Amino acid sequence: MNDSKWTWRAVSLVSILATLLLITGFVYAVGDILNPKGEKLLSSLPQETAVPTAAASDEYKILALGDSLAKGTGDNSGEGFVRRTLTALSANEGKAELLGNMGINGLTTTALESKLKEEGVQYALRQANVILISIGGNDLFRGSNIMGTPATPKVEGSKPVPTASANDLTPESLLSALPEAAKRLGSILDTVAKINPQAQVYYIGLYNPFGDIPELLTPGNQAVTAWNNTAMDMINKHSNMTLVPTFDLFDRHLDKYLSNDHFHPNGDGYQRMSERIVQAVR
Amino acid sequence: MTNLLPLIRNECLKIIKKKRFYVILLILLVLVPMFTYAQMRIAERSRDKFNSDWRLEIQQQITDNQNSLGSDRIPEEWKSYRRVFLQQLQYYLDHDVNPNEPSGVTFTREFLNNSVSLFIPLLIMAVASDLVSGERTTGTIKMLLTRPVRRWKVLFSKMAALLMFVSLIVLSVFVISYLISGLAFGYKGFNVPVFTGFQISGDTVDMSKVHAVAQWKYLLMQGGLIWFVSIVVALLAFMVSVLVRSTAASIVVMMAALIAGTILTNMASAWTAAKYLFMVNMELTTYLAGTPAPIEGMTLGFSMAVLGIWGLAAVIISFAVFTKRDILN
Repeated sequence: MNDSKWTWRAVSLVSILATLLLITGFVYAVGDILNPKGEKLLSSLPQETAVPTAAASDEYKILALGDSLAKGTGDNSGEGFVRRTLTALSANEGKAELLGNMGINGLTTTALESKLKEEGVQYALRQANVILISIGGNDLFRGSNIMGTPATPKVEGSKPVPTASANDLTPESLLSALPEAAKRLGSILDTVAKINPQAQVYYIGLYNPFGDIPELLTPGNQAVTAWNNTAMDMINKHSNMTLVPTFDLFDRHLDKYLSNDHFHPNGDGYQRMSERIVQAVR
Repeated sequence: MTNLLPLIRNECLKIIKKKRFYVILLILLVLVPMFTYAQMRIAERSRDKFNSDWRLEIQQQITDNQNSLGSDRIPEEWKSYRRVFLQQLQYYLDHDVNPNEPSGVTFTREFLNNSVSLFIPLLIMAVASDLVSGERTTGTIKMLLTRPVRRWKVLFSKMAALLMFVSLIVLSVFVISYLISGLAFGYKGFNVPVFTGFQISGDTVDMSKVHAVAQWKYLLMQGGLIWFVSIVVALLAFMVSVLVRSTAASIVVMMAALIAGTILTNMASAWTAAKYLFMVNMELTTYLAGTPAPIEGMTLGFSMAVLGIWGLAAVIISFAVFTKRDILN
């Protein structure tokens, strides 16, 4: 009986204390949720994790930036040129590491410009020493509704169906988007160079995905070449940037290297692109 | 009035002697290490992938979510959930605070967030579902009621003992998950800031009211909300236990309700009237974390009112039935 007396005392005491504690928390929580006080965020927030120090410089730290090509859309294995490049660079005792793949389907130069203002993206850029950029395709081919004309780049939707919309794609519409987009590409490259002046930047040139539609072959080639030339001009101003051409990889081989959507490369196409990139990197 | 305390004491001792509480502790001691281990593997994997740089990991998470927003196959409700999630991640990143700083405290916070709708209610049912129906199954209820004590006092003492154990259970979930996960992740992290006060309206998050709270305070608030939910679950289970003759039936009824709740929360956004069911309103902690409520128009006040009404109704029904009913068999 003495035993149960002590059990009772302990249990009742602990449970009453626990109840009081939990009620306090409850009152706190209700007050905090119903009347949240937005305070100016203190600058005294603890810097919890130190930025990891840069490892040996012989290690490639790769960051990919840009549109669906960077993401690897169309590659059934999901690797895209980014992972394939990584694999190739880490072969033969090379050291390579992927810091992140920030490719977003349907990203345009406008969206990339605003993305570069984000702290997280800038942070990742600063950590990298190899930066792969693929951008511009959506600017060039979008005036034609080919990419489903997204309201915002984030809600980019359907896969392109060239056969349905290719009729709207005129040489004029292809070239009309060029000057503005090229200007934005220039500012993107400048921003990247400013964020991380040390890194090697590789810009992936465009190819013409519409070469299999006879009436689009020539205007498409012209527009893409014009874009690539403009990009080359801007890239040459930066000593640490390289344009990796892809135009010839796909020209007249579209059926072999494009995926089923007739727009993005397939696995083999990405493989060829990554081989080019690896040649440029080392 | 003077003879209430001994009655409560008696009921408490009965719960302890039946070893229900030890079973609960045992369940926790077995399951929490499993969750901890799983969590540890996740942490290890992301450390390998992202070179232990959480900023890169969060940025990649943001990018992945942005990509999935583009897919047409994802239902609109999930998209708005992800948009909200995205903006919060961005907020953490912009303020250089790691939302998942691995520590025993963070694990406890996450674990409790996930267990409020099913796991903790289950533990509570282990005690509550048996209180009255157990006496009927064994026949001891006759002994109890032949004593010169009013029936409502008998029931009240049982309820009071139950509420005491609810607090004990909630507390022990906290303590055990902190102690065990601390072995793997370390016991620090009480002062890490957590952001709360995200005001969600549809797709967008109003950041003007967001403020940082130390993690220990966040845990305290979380505990309070969980306690409130647990009380309501306990009262409901108690009512079922009064109404049903066997303990097994009583547990099945409550389990069915709870599981229906988790299923409904996942798909009920079309059926708005479901928000008046108690089991859809159990995840009070989502209001703290700022994740969107399962059904449009649910707020903390609303959920608490719904839960409160259900709990009160359970109390009234329990007393009405228990004091009136003939005890047969």
